[in-house]
Amino acid sequence: MTKTVYVAGVAALCLLGIGLHAIDAHAAGGDWKRGRVYYQKVCTDCHTAKAGGAIAPNARTMADWTAYLNADKHAKGKDSLRNYASREYRASVKGTNKAAEKYADVPDEQLFNDIRSFMLKGAKDGDSPASCN
Amino acid sequence: MGVRICSALAIAAMLVAAAAGGADDGASDKVLKSTSDHAKFKVLQQEFASGPEVTRACLTCHTEAARQLQLTQHWKWEFLNPDGRRLGKKSIINNFCTSVASNYAYCTTCHIGYGWKDDRFDFSVQENVDCLICHDTTGNYRKAPGFAGHVVTQETEFPPGSGNRLKPVKLGPIAQEVARTSRDNCGACHFFGGGGDGVKHGDLDSSLASPDKSLDVHMDALGNNFACATCHMTAGHQVPGSRYAPTAVDRGGARLRGKEYKTNPTTCQSCHGQAPHKAGAAKLNDHTDKVACQTCHIPAYARGGVPTKMSWDWSTAGLMGLDGKPMVRKDAKGRVVYTAAKGTFVIAENVVPEYVWFNGRVTYTLLGDRIEKGAQPTRINHFEGSAGDNRSMIWPVKVFRGKQAYDPLYKSLVVTHMAGTDDTAFWTNFNWEKAVAVGMASVGAPFSGKVDFVETESMWPITHMVAPAKDALRCHDCHASGARLEKVAGIYIPGRGSDHSVWLEVIGWALAALALAGALVHGTGRIAAARRRH
Repeated sequence: MTKTVYVAGVAALCLLGIGLHAIDAHAAGGDWKRGRVYYQKVCTDCHTAKAGGAIAPNARTMADWTAYLNADKHAKGKDSLRNYASREYRASVKGTNKAAEKYADVPDEQLFNDIRSFMLKGAKDGDSPASCN
Repeated sequence: MGVRICSALAIAAMLVAAAAGGADDGASDKVLKSTSDHAKFKVLQQEFASGPEVTRACLTCHTEAARQLQLTQHWKWEFLNPDGRRLGKKSIINNFCTSVASNYAYCTTCHIGYGWKDDRFDFSVQENVDCLICHDTTGNYRKAPGFAGHVVTQETEFPPGSGNRLKPVKLGPIAQEVARTSRDNCGACHFFGGGGDGVKHGDLDSSLASPDKSLDVHMDALGNNFACATCHMTAGHQVPGSRYAPTAVDRGGARLRGKEYKTNPTTCQSCHGQAPHKAGAAKLNDHTDKVACQTCHIPAYARGGVPTKMSWDWSTAGLMGLDGKPMVRKDAKGRVVYTAAKGTFVIAENVVPEYVWFNGRVTYTLLGDRIEKGAQPTRINHFEGSAGDNRSMIWPVKVFRGKQAYDPLYKSLVVTHMAGTDDTAFWTNFNWEKAVAVGMASVGAPFSGKVDFVETESMWPITHMVAPAKDALRCHDCHASGARLEKVAGIYIPGRGSDHSVWLEVIGWALAALALAGALVHGTGRIAAARRRH
């Protein structure tokens, strides 16, 4: 019996590993072009209008952006960064923002990964540093 | 207990599997877009040491692709003009960085090939075709200037001794993600023509990588999202719509599926036909025989926040600062307007085009053509056409003006050896005579040893950055004094200053007043007579 539990446990852990790997691989391979559009038309538009200006991806390093994205703190910790990529947020602004409208149904995690992909590849030390132009 | 543990682990495994499955939505998109996942091809599951190695792998499946490519202008950089003259990047001299000859290793950064470092490049070698420059989807593929189109795959200091280190490009992951071309692919070269973002064309710059509707209704990233190839409908790797073979007038209608056409598919008419305006604005359809669509629908170019160069004066190049280093000047916005290597620039955004009659013929001034330094600038190229030839339309153009080196004794434009790490390159030694001597020798052309500067101008068709209908030109933009088409000769444009005749208008208004007075007198008489009868 103990042997059966052991085998089942190992199998489950293997599956767990495969699953996590799949998620990780997916995160790494986000759609950077969709991320670019969302970053430009939602994040940058709002920052330009309400937060004193745009922040170019190449203004920070990959490590900076990774830490920022993982911390999930927006506006110096006042709220969650992920909130701004959420379906709920997109629904709230889609009347005035075409990007939010177009991507209204994209799963939250997927869109967040897309944005992550764009920011990391556009970082100062990324594969393709991106300015606001 | 054991069963419970087992069950818990199994549930955990199922949950994770479900999560992983849920995360596969993006992969579904991928499946819908293509029948091939290149990451699954064994031949691409390796790290490549060079671009040609990738091409060899591509050709194992796409066996005829390189041969197709080698028939194209993109490969040859050559075009035979209808007047019999040989054009193309390989041959012409322009008024930007002037010539490819003698500068191959730098200019061919934008060639769809590997290794074109001098005039001995072998155009028949298939593995020298660069597949990735057009089919990369990662956005990570790049070719650094100075490597003759080769990709840097190991960290490299360039120029040697400069301390500037180039990051290597990992070709394996890029090769596994190839797909159809996108705006980013074409833009990697065409947005940066002339030596920088937006420099050359004015209607092509990096803002078109992800534009909004106000910048371009067709490429709008949140709307139509056209790729370049949506209009430049490519077959067998032949991309139609080159500016060397422009279609100024298209009298055809909108194209039907299944029907074969031999004409250029990139025109507006090939989708919109000859009467594109709706019933409420049908008067506009009366303009389509003489006015190119672009004239009204591209009210200005360089609208995406990237300035374009409007003029370039090479005669001021070579100045050193007080520190003895090559001088650089910037404008109030921090944009470069002078460098010792290149001279003085004028840059601009939201530029209103100039307008000319254009019938599709373009004439060029080539190396060896006799030119005179005088009141009129030398035409690097010129759009032909007139109101009377019945083959022309009024087109918007960018006219790029400059002052560039020429040989005052042989009276010819010159090839200048601009770029390179050797002592004769102008960007190294700032010595015109030395640089021109090497440049002219490289093409076997005579050089007197003297260099002077001549004013030049070149024309570029404005055809991208199509604005939404609400932002198109209005009647008064042309039908008014001092309006956009004021200088377009040979056609009567009501309301235009040069078509404005005081006497004609006095006579017209007098006749109208007389007609009104007559009608009033007649009507009044009829009413009075009717009252008298009753």
